Amino acid sequence: MYTIEIQKELGGILGKVLKKEDIELDQNTKASDVPGWDSLTNMLFINEIEKHYKIRFSFREIVKITNVGELCSAILSKLGK
Amino acid sequence: MCVNNNKDILNDIINASEKFSGNDAMVIDGIHYSYRDLIGKAKGIAAFFNDPTERIIGIIAENKIETYASILATLLTGRTYVILHPAYPPERNIGIIQQTGIHTILHSKKYDVGILGSNRTRWFCTSDISSASGKDKWTKTESKDYAYIIFTSGSTGIPKGVPISRKNLNAFYNAYCNLGWNLDSNDRLLQMFELTFDISVVSFLYPLTIGACEYTVGNETAKYLKVFDILETEHISFASLTASILQLFSPYFQDVFLPDLKYVGLTAEATNADMVKKLSKSAPNALFVNLYGPTESTIFCTAYFLPKEGEIKGHNGTVAIGKPFEDITAMIADGNGEKITDGSQGELWVSGPQIMDGYWNNPEKTSEAIVTASDGKVYYRTGDICYMDNESDIIYCGRGDSQVKIQGFRIELGEIEYAARKFLNNECNAVAFATPTDGMMELHLVIEADKCDTESLMEGLRHLLPGYMMPKTIHLLKPFPTNTNNKIDRKAIKETYTK
Repeated sequence: MYTIEIQKELGGILGKVLKKEDIELDQNTKASDVPGWDSLTNMLFINEIEKHYKIRFSFREIVKITNVGELCSAILSKLGK
Repeated sequence: MCVNNNKDILNDIINASEKFSGNDAMVIDGIHYSYRDLIGKAKGIAAFFNDPTERIIGIIAENKIETYASILATLLTGRTYVILHPAYPPERNIGIIQQTGIHTILHSKKYDVGILGSNRTRWFCTSDISSASGKDKWTKTESKDYAYIIFTSGSTGIPKGVPISRKNLNAFYNAYCNLGWNLDSNDRLLQMFELTFDISVVSFLYPLTIGACEYTVGNETAKYLKVFDILETEHISFASLTASILQLFSPYFQDVFLPDLKYVGLTAEATNADMVKKLSKSAPNALFVNLYGPTESTIFCTAYFLPKEGEIKGHNGTVAIGKPFEDITAMIADGNGEKITDGSQGELWVSGPQIMDGYWNNPEKTSEAIVTASDGKVYYRTGDICYMDNESDIIYCGRGDSQVKIQGFRIELGEIEYAARKFLNNECNAVAFATPTDGMMELHLVIEADKCDTESLMEGLRHLLPGYMMPKTIHLLKPFPTNTNNKIDRKAIKETYTK
């Protein structure tokens, strides 16, 4: 699986969490760029990502992530890719 | 620890800032500001207040040193501050400005008059104001002068102003100190509250009275992660937190170790005892204190120190609110305003020097909330349903408006929510509400989840609740809407299904 695929899937997951259409993300997208992406939805988004990829992030792993690019890398690394 | 009861919070801040001038006063977004920096900025801002008749200053809520210095400058020149929030709808901010007659608004570069639309106010950008030094004489203030006015939601949709005088604030300060905190200039405290919320007043001002350093967290995405990041990496020793922040972070409690935390203040909303037990494993040296108080009683007016071992007092899983602060008289009142002495439930009324005189220019609301009881004392009616146990601890049962009568039975919605949370292993929030349908009150239960087997939940509730407390319908809603103070917005949840 490649970064670009993960990025697209994340757009779908985030859209579901925000109850919107798929959201177009790029590697530099930050939470503050997306309306509605706040503390609550962030928690739900991470939950959904963990369920979707069957992975679990620790707190320290999550807190380091500042944009979608870093989130993709963190997922890929968890998946051992 | 305070040794007398005549302390003035602002005098103590000035004294501490002289004694510890080179020490860190605040850390904001990783930048350290000394007491000299903070007071210098406050003096620079104070120099712009050249109209002695202008008593009330508007300040845009931001997580900036200039914002905090603006609050200090306003207070130290004997003025009153009112916070305007950039995330509020312009109508709300304009309503507050009109109600209070604000002419001057202090802001940083990020926000300008545009957030209000057109408005006849003077805007001062504090980012451009230079620091000032020298021994200024700060204004001597009268105790009846207001320190701040906090606007809460009014049931009519018009924000209701709660003016807190210097007398109220100092009465609070003395009582708060006398809770016996073992904190000094070596401590690090957390300030995570929105400035529109009165807990920010104590979280900001109290550390400055002891020469300690405070770490602030702004209103950012994933605030719950940031809060715990700072607690752990900055070795914070005192943190007041909300139940919502604890709930959001709860999946990661096991990932943090907070041995430096001496105290955790549980504030702002009812806290679940199980949540505290879970967090206490990660904060083994912390004393947990439930701090309760309506804005009208100046920040907090009761405290319950949770026992390290043994039973945590409470009701339906919600932690007790404990004993009144010194100089506060608390009574549980029945429907006729008479004191209940047999331990049954009633409305909590509080009296004493911390209680506001009345709502801002709102005699009607004031007369509803501030009443003279048969003992001759003036009380604030909190609207919270409580009872007092045989050790004189006050046990919080829920909001007055969270009690409904169905088929003649008095029902506490909190009890239904507790049963639902219990059945769901405390993994989801639950909110119950009652709404009249065809002339009958019907109960609804809303679960914060995408998926939930509502049939088995209903079946489970049948084992936990009497028939008259059974919800007619279960809804799923995720996430629950919250208000700007990060509290679950019960009203908005109810409106989702009743409009």
